[in-house]
Parts: sequence; structure tokens; C-alpha cells
Amino acid sequence: MTASRGPGRVALPARWIAAKIGAAILVMWIVATLVFFALRASGDPLEAILGGPGSQAGPEAVQAAIERYALDQPLVVQYLLQLRDIATLQLGDSYARRQPVADLIGDQLPNTLLLAVLALALAWVIAVAGALVQAVSRGRWGRAVGAVMHGLEVVASVAPQFWLGAVLIMLFASSLGWLPATSASSDPAALVLPVVTLAVPIAGFLSQVSRDALADADAAPFATTARSRGSGEIRVLLRHTLRHASLPAISLSGWAFGSLLSGSVVVEVLFARPGLGRLLQEAALSRDVPVVVGAVVLVALLYVVVVIATDALELVVDPRLRRSAAALRAPDVAVGA
Amino acid sequence: MRPLRRAIPALALVSLAALAAGCSASPGGGDAEPVEGGTLVYATGDAEPTCLDPHVGGNYPQGLISTQYLEPLFGRTAEGEIVPWLAESGEASDDGLTWDITLRDDITFTDGTPFDAEAVKANIEHLQDPDTASSTGYLAVEQVESVEVVDDTHVRLHLSTPKSAMLEVLSQQWAAMQSPAGIERGMDENCQAPIGTGPFVVESWTPQEQVTLVRNDDYVSTNPEADHDGPAHVERVEWRFIPDAATRQAALASGEVNVIDNPLPTDIASAEEQGFGHIDAPRPASANRIELNSAQAPFDDDLVREAFIRSADPNPGIETLFAGTATRSYSVLSSAEPVALSDEEAFRTDADEANALLDDAGWTERDDDGTRMKDGERLTVRFPVSTNQSTAAEQSLFEQIQANTAAVGFDVQLEPTDLSSWYGALAAHEYEAVSAPYTTVGPDVLRILYHSDGTIPAPSGYFANNAQLTDPELDALLEDALATTDADEKAELYTEAQRIIIDSHAVLPLYDQQNHFLTNGVEGVTTIHTISTPTLVNAQLTE
Repeated sequence: MTASRGPGRVALPARWIAAKIGAAILVMWIVATLVFFALRASGDPLEAILGGPGSQAGPEAVQAAIERYALDQPLVVQYLLQLRDIATLQLGDSYARRQPVADLIGDQLPNTLLLAVLALALAWVIAVAGALVQAVSRGRWGRAVGAVMHGLEVVASVAPQFWLGAVLIMLFASSLGWLPATSASSDPAALVLPVVTLAVPIAGFLSQVSRDALADADAAPFATTARSRGSGEIRVLLRHTLRHASLPAISLSGWAFGSLLSGSVVVEVLFARPGLGRLLQEAALSRDVPVVVGAVVLVALLYVVVVIATDALELVVDPRLRRSAAALRAPDVAVGA
Repeated sequence: MRPLRRAIPALALVSLAALAAGCSASPGGGDAEPVEGGTLVYATGDAEPTCLDPHVGGNYPQGLISTQYLEPLFGRTAEGEIVPWLAESGEASDDGLTWDITLRDDITFTDGTPFDAEAVKANIEHLQDPDTASSTGYLAVEQVESVEVVDDTHVRLHLSTPKSAMLEVLSQQWAAMQSPAGIERGMDENCQAPIGTGPFVVESWTPQEQVTLVRNDDYVSTNPEADHDGPAHVERVEWRFIPDAATRQAALASGEVNVIDNPLPTDIASAEEQGFGHIDAPRPASANRIELNSAQAPFDDDLVREAFIRSADPNPGIETLFAGTATRSYSVLSSAEPVALSDEEAFRTDADEANALLDDAGWTERDDDGTRMKDGERLTVRFPVSTNQSTAAEQSLFEQIQANTAAVGFDVQLEPTDLSSWYGALAAHEYEAVSAPYTTVGPDVLRILYHSDGTIPAPSGYFANNAQLTDPELDALLEDALATTDADEKAELYTEAQRIIIDSHAVLPLYDQQNHFLTNGVEGVTTIHTISTPTLVNAQLTE
């Protein structure tokens, strides 16, 4: 099996794929196990079935619930049943809502994916725009721009989403009345504030990383060579250095996607937006074990898939990595060196 | 060019600040005329129900929304008097073991099923069915052994033990009447859209977004709060779930929603200034209070309990943290209960007295941090705090109480946890102090909270008597009060019972269970006097 050369005809090594899938299954198993035992250790699932914590349901109701959900089985048996359900994609019924978990998740997943994908896209646009502005700014003016941009990046990347969202709501919903504070409606305008809230911190990180990589690439011999041939700054940027500098940002996008999924919990609650994050939060609080396990395993699966996809994308973009992947060992060329 | 370049960022900053400060889109209520029809948007901060049928489980969020589409047999006036609703009257036999209830004959459920004695029977049996997994409603009808259908408009309840509070518990939203045909569809379907007799009908439920209600055009005006005959004014209600309080407030200010519940104290204080309507509807039954666990050290000693009451000094905290929107209570019962016994003197603050009491009780040594000690044990008070139930203001109040009691040598350990862990800590008796809200209707809440039976856990581990009072004299008073149907005698018994509870020093009342609503662009929103939920039967949009 040899990796083919040239863009557009890249075959991924089979061993590489097999190793990734193996790792993915391992991650999912660990996640499901941790969540199951953590939830069971911290509360009684009967509560979720019998109307929430502090239930005063009678003994017959308690007995009926125990039998219906096999809660009289040993914990290990319940755990194995749960694993079997996950493996066969049978996520069971929600304790609290008495509906199939797959339906509950299926209803909410598109909302969260839409939010995450839009936020990631916006983060990339902001980051690339920021990098471009800095790259074309030279001299004293350029240093000033660089300093300001650097400051903005730092502020953006550390801004807590619950704070940023609250400020945006105060400004654009309460004071100006330009955008709705909540986004339960299908109105596209309602997506603006949640997407911006999610995107800004990610954009800060992406921008920092690409700018550093861009600076390295800019100082590399191939950039000097391009300039010496008479290429303008924009041309050097677009043809040479930006491609080079995109590598760490691509690998960071996998992380960013995971961060967006966890950030969606905060943003969905803040903006009263339906989605997986809110489903998960409510289910965790009410000890609705099947929903929590189902949602967490699905998020882990999404994350793993995205990380594998970004790894694969890196292989496509960077031939140096492909050789090392074929040999299934660490890359022998450091990114950005 | 130079000056301009410098000016641009400055200008941008100034304009941003002006936008933020200057424009507060406050829509003045003022002169707007009420209109017929339209869509009212209600935003709740309470948890989204997992089932819209309040028979299933039975919590406050279910009570809130179901008030719009389900109605109980009885209502209640602001003075605590039981009044007819779907039932015309109810009367107990002399031995208190049978209740004869007469029903209205002109009511039909919104699916066309007639409301009659058979329907009442089906509802009570639904509450008692273990498969319904009812908690609150189940408690209401626990003593009902059988339901006899006398004729279409007469139903007779046979009880295992007398319960003078029968009509009160039947007035709770968790025991409201639904169409038997609706119940028969099975729990899955009934949870999505229960069928009642109320002014609105559940049209659809989009989880995490909203429940859509449409007007019941055939509504027969039975609600005691209704100010007109016939259907409601608004055509549709969007019942939305907005968990974040600041977001709810922003949505109210921008006109996205017309009514919000659970507003922040600062937002309540500034409501009038912003042109919003404000409804303050304290919940009935018990006040919010701190209970001291009298079953274990150190609060098994009355002197130590009294010292805590003398040193807690919650008043300054209540005034500042609640921005003047909550009033200190000196009664175990809510101010909405006519028999509430208020005794300010019994809850006076006196740090010197507290110190003397602790000295008398033998807590004379001091640890390095000033905490009192006795026989090598620190004067520690574990205080689990439910972050679901205690608002930010209340949690801050507990911190002030922690500081106040530390001054006389208590070491209060506040332990903020989620609801499930909180109930877990209580069930395991891992607490010396706790604040546990309890919503029901009527002074019989005293029996639920302070009768010794309340120390025996339910199958889930839950028990209501957090003060762990086991006083035979108190038990007898509460049992007699439940059995008697003589109003004066009942009031007398409840007064005596409250005296004993207050003197036990095991309860420190704080304020009524806060239950505020803010409105914008709507008038006529009012609350029912059973569980203080808002009804939209009179509501009219003004835009």
C-alpha cells in the first residue's frame, strides 16, 4: 500500500484507518462506562422515573418502576445491558419523558450541529480575515495593527461564553432591539447572537495559531524565494504561506468542534435555544440515565469522527505526514518548522 | 489624516457606549388599549415539565402550565376559603369518613366527553394507579379508599381516615380533572396533550422550545378568578422555556414575551420604572424557612437551637439582597394562610443571649478559628443548599447567616449541590440545617412537615419533617385539626400547633415562598389562590 502523490488522488492507508477506528471504539467505551457509573454513583435513577428528586410516590409505583426498568438487576448486569444497547444502537427509552432516546436526540441534534457548523465557519472567517489584515500591514502601522489584533485575540479567546452572550443580549436585544434575545423561533436572525457567542472565543484561538504559523512561514526560505522572484505580498500569502500556515489550524478545528459542542450547553441555555446541549443538561440534572448516556456517547462519536476527519484532511494537505502515516509512526517533519 | 485616524477608534468607542447607555427600549404600558385575540407569550424559568399531565409526578412547573388547560374541583379565595370550581359543593359526614361532592352539570371536556361523576372517579383512580407514578396528587387522595358514583352529578368519596383538608387538597392543580377518554389513550399520549376543561387547549409541544395553547371557544366560565363569562380574550398562548433569568428579562424588555416568572429581585425592583406590570403572589402553605435537625448533635439541644435563632440575624440580608421585594416572615406558615401565627419576638436577634445560651449548653472551649468546642467536638452545622431551589439571592443570604452565626461560634458549612445530591444528603441525615421549600394548599402542610410520621422516609428515601420534630402533643393537635370540620376549632388547633413549632426553636422563618411575575403589553393576568399559579383567562394584549 503506497500513498499516491499529487492532490486529488490521495488514498488513506488502511492500517491508519483501522487504528483510528480502534481508538474511536475504545474512547466510546470509556466514555459510556464513566458516564454510566458516575450517574449511578451520584443518585438514584428511580427519581427520574417517579417525578423527579424528592418524589413521594407510593410503594406500588416504586415497585412497578423497578420492574419496568430492570433496576432490581445487579449494577454490573445493568451496565452490560446498557453497553449492549449502545452497541446495537438501541438507546432505550427516557426515564423522565418515556420516549425513545433516539427520537429525543434526533430531534435536537440538527439544532446543535447547525449552531456548531455555523460557529466554526464564522470563527474561520474571522481568523483568516484577522491573519490577512496583519499580513498585509507592514511598517509602523503594521506593528500597531499587530498589537491591536493580538490584544483582541487574547480577549476573544479568554472571553467566557456565558458572559459574552449576556453582554450581546443586553446590547442587541434589550437596548437596541435589533435581534431577538432568544432563539426558539425558526427566524434566521435568532441564530446570529448564539453563533457569534460561540464563534468569538474559537476565532481568537484559531487566529492566534494561524498568525504564529503564518509568521513562521513568512520567514521561511520559500517565502523569501517567492519574494525575490518579484511576487507581491498578497500573492506570497495566498499562494505560499497561507496554505502552509493552515495546517495547525486544521488540526485545531477538531478540537474547536469539540469545544463548540460543549459550549453549546452554555449557549443553548442562555439563549433558550433547543439543542443537544440543553437536552443533556436537563437530563443530567434529573438523573435520566438513558438520555445522558445516549447523548454523551453520541457527542463522543461526533468528536472522534471530526478528529479523524481533520487528521485525514491534514494528510491530504501535507504529503510529509502521509509518508509517516503509511509507516504508522510519528511525523518526521514538524509542522511549521 | 493623522487626527482622523486617531478619532475613528475614539468615535467608535463613544458611539458604542452611547448605544449601550442611551437606548433602553422601554415600552411604556400606559395608555395602550386592550384588544381581543392575539398571541400571548409566556416565558417560564422553571424546568420544562417532562409530562404535561400534572397527575404524573406532580411538580410546580406542571402546576404552572396545566392551570391554563386543566381545572380542579374546588378553588380558593385570597382569604383561604374553599369555593366551587368544577364541583358545586362538598360536605363531609359526621365521622369524616365520607365526602359527598356535587358536580356542575354544564361542563364538557374539550374532546366532547362530559364532565360527570364517572370522570371524577376515573381521575382519582388515575392518581392512585401505581403506573401513573404520581407523587403530589397521590398524597392528596391517599386516604380515599373508594369512589362511589351516586349519579351523574354526585360522587361519594370513602376514606380510610378522616381528612378535613379533603377539599383543599382537591383544589390543588396536581389533582385537576382530565377527560377519562384522554387518560385512556395511555400515558405517552396523555403526557403530550392532556385534555381538560380549561380556557385553553394544548395544541402542540415542541420540547425545549414551547407548548402552544389555543383558546377553548366553548369555555364555560368556572374559574373563580374569571371576570367575564365565556372564552378567554387571547386566541393563542405560546408557553416558552427560557432558563436564564437575564435572558427572560431581556426578552420581556424587547417585547418578545408578555409574561415572565422567576424574575431577579433587582428586576422586580425596577419593574415599575421600566413600565412593566408586577404580580406578587406568595405561595400558600409554608413560608421559606431554615429547619434545624433536632434529632442529632448539636441541635438535639434546645439551647443550641435557640442560640442559632438568636444569632442568625437574616433581616439586613433580606432587605439588601432582595432589593426590598421580600418581606421578613415571623411565621412558619405563608402569609397567604389566614391561620398563620406571626411572632416577631420569638425570632428576635440577640448575640449576647446566643453566647450565653451556648455557654450554658457547655460549648465553652474555642478552636483556633474561634469556633466553639465541647469535648473536643467543633460546633459544626452542615447546611446542604439546593442550587436548583435556592435563588442566588437566597444563597447569598445563607452566606450572611453563616457569617452572623460564626460571630458567636458556629461553624456553618454551606454545601451547594444539585437537587438529586441534596435530597440524597437529607435522606442520609447528613445535615444539621436545611432550607426546603414545600408547596401545597392550606395549613395541613404543618402535619406534612412537622408530624412525627414525616420522619419516616417514603420508598424513595424522602421525608418531609426535616426538623425531625417528634412531639406527641404536636402530633395530636395536627391529627385533631385534620379530623375536625369545625372551622373555629380547626383554627384554634393550628394556632396551638404553630406555638409548639415556634417554641421548639427548630424552625427559622425567612420570607414567603417568592412567586413574582412581570408583564409587558398585557393586562388582566392574575393568579389563582390555590397554588398561586397565573391564569390567563382574563388576559388581554394591549398592543
